[in-house]
Amino acid sequence: MANPGGGAVCNGNLHNHKKQSNGSQSGNCRKNGIIKEDQQNGKPHCYKQIVESFEEPPLHVMVFTYLGYGIGTLFGHFRDFLRKCGIEKCNTAIEREKQRDFVPLYQDFENFYTRNLYMRIRDNWNRPICSAPGPQFDIMERVSDDYNWTFRFTGRTIKDVINMGSYNFLGLAARYDESMRTIKEVLEVYGTGVSSTRQEMGTLDKHKELEDLVAKFLNVEAAMVFGMGFATNSMNIPALVGKGCLILSDELNHASLVLGARLSGATIRVFKHNNSQNLEMLLKDAVIYGQPRTHRAWKKILILVEGIYSMEGSILHLPQIVALKNKYKAYLYIDEAHSIGAVGPTGRGVVDFFGMDPREIDVLMGTFTKSFGAAGGYIAGRKDLVDYLRANSHSAAYATSMSPPISEKIITSIKFLMGDDGSTQGLQRIQQLAKNTRYFRKKLSEMGFIVYGNEKSPVVPVLLYMPGKVAAFARSLLQKKIGVVVVGFPATPLAEARARFCISAAHTRKNLNTVLEALDEIGDLLQLKYSRHRKSMRREPYEETSFELDD
Amino acid sequence: MASMALAPAWKQMSWFYYQYLLLMALYVLEPWEWTVFNSMLASVVGMALYTGYVFMWQHIMAILHYFEIVR
Repeated sequence: MANPGGGAVCNGNLHNHKKQSNGSQSGNCRKNGIIKEDQQNGKPHCYKQIVESFEEPPLHVMVFTYLGYGIGTLFGHFRDFLRKCGIEKCNTAIEREKQRDFVPLYQDFENFYTRNLYMRIRDNWNRPICSAPGPQFDIMERVSDDYNWTFRFTGRTIKDVINMGSYNFLGLAARYDESMRTIKEVLEVYGTGVSSTRQEMGTLDKHKELEDLVAKFLNVEAAMVFGMGFATNSMNIPALVGKGCLILSDELNHASLVLGARLSGATIRVFKHNNSQNLEMLLKDAVIYGQPRTHRAWKKILILVEGIYSMEGSILHLPQIVALKNKYKAYLYIDEAHSIGAVGPTGRGVVDFFGMDPREIDVLMGTFTKSFGAAGGYIAGRKDLVDYLRANSHSAAYATSMSPPISEKIITSIKFLMGDDGSTQGLQRIQQLAKNTRYFRKKLSEMGFIVYGNEKSPVVPVLLYMPGKVAAFARSLLQKKIGVVVVGFPATPLAEARARFCISAAHTRKNLNTVLEALDEIGDLLQLKYSRHRKSMRREPYEETSFELDD
Repeated sequence: MASMALAPAWKQMSWFYYQYLLLMALYVLEPWEWTVFNSMLASVVGMALYTGYVFMWQHIMAILHYFEIVR
């Protein structure tokens, strides 16, 4: 990657980013024309230009998507009518006879959708696997005799399915091998359960070692770890903000952030996804007008964002947000669940990706589930913040602390990434992930699929739009022994169903090529190549050294 | 021989039918619902064509009569 150099553009100044709707660009950071080569020694690589795309589909696709949902809804009403008349047996939950006159429980849209649309294609989700979620895994085969109302296992397993759905960005979630020997030793000494909360008897020396290591890895003063990633968000945001505070949260934030914000009792305002102009407008209003009726100043303004948004594949525009936060004196909370270990030249998350100082972010949160092959979450920042959370967090007071073998797995993974065991394998894996991501995204947009998100994010959503194609896509790929995750409503907007690929450093070039060939074939079969920016297969004339425009 | 010639045409037709099922989200429904939907669609399209045939024929005859091309 070309180095733009120059620390001045990376320390939170608002630098112009170009949002391009073209499918792919070479990502060359030479936009200023001047590259300060002499400033590169010791400076981290700055990512100067953000290239992301959220292409709009052609009109006929949207028309057919809504038409498809309309037909599904009509047939849903028809089937509901048949069930009510008793012509058809009702397999879902219904109220008891005595409760028929009560307020209906199952008549809202969500239940209607589940009964009539989700159930029909339910075999594409909740597939049980029976091996480690490495680059290849085994799926238990199951069939349904009554159109997905009940399943039965045939007893066979589908072996060596290529895994494009697990959050295994660095390939550290693998079956036991010699590098995990320390985990076995820890299991022998400490056992599996902790049987207590952090504040009572559940703080182990393993936790202290892990917390010091996480703080060193992220280059902050202190960190605290929790047993569950979702609980880290939902139980700690209420400890940090309360009534009289303002939370500005991105519209596509994860459920844990939304739950934590709602539990806290603070006022919540939502800004458009990754849109710093909208955020600035909200911040200005907050500072000028204050609290709703009394017009007093807000006690705290907290901006809640994520490092990588998992449904869109977009990376946070960190420099702009930090500049805004410094200007309007707000606090910033970044949830790096998907980005820690996966982006950045040394794998230290979105802060490293932009070459910024972690001391500028007030609360750094992340999880160990995605890149470290374990479970749990952490919150890192200044020492007084972490000390406050040790005393006041709900998770510390009530939730069981992290299990010792899991802590040891995270310690091993972080040491591996930092290169503490003397090898450069950790750095190689991070670079392999970046290479795989670049290759996969480039090939997908060349083929003509609409792919959302930043060109460097390892989460790759491919848009499918129509509900029929969502089901056909997942089933056809499983027949070709590739496991993908498809997502529809309500996790995504109604008309934007997608397939989400998670690239791993453990995927070999051969795996990726197999997947790409299958995608090419299925894209042609199901007519999924909607992009209007498809690069032609013909070589462009200016790539050749002599300017002879032949053909 | 005739079935050999028909085979690629049959394949193309079934590909088109598959695309139609996907586009209209009929792919997720059960086969008897396909029958219901297809028969309703066929009857609506048939009625539209019949109406078109009847009215267009009358109008064309009226226009030609006006321009005295036909008496």
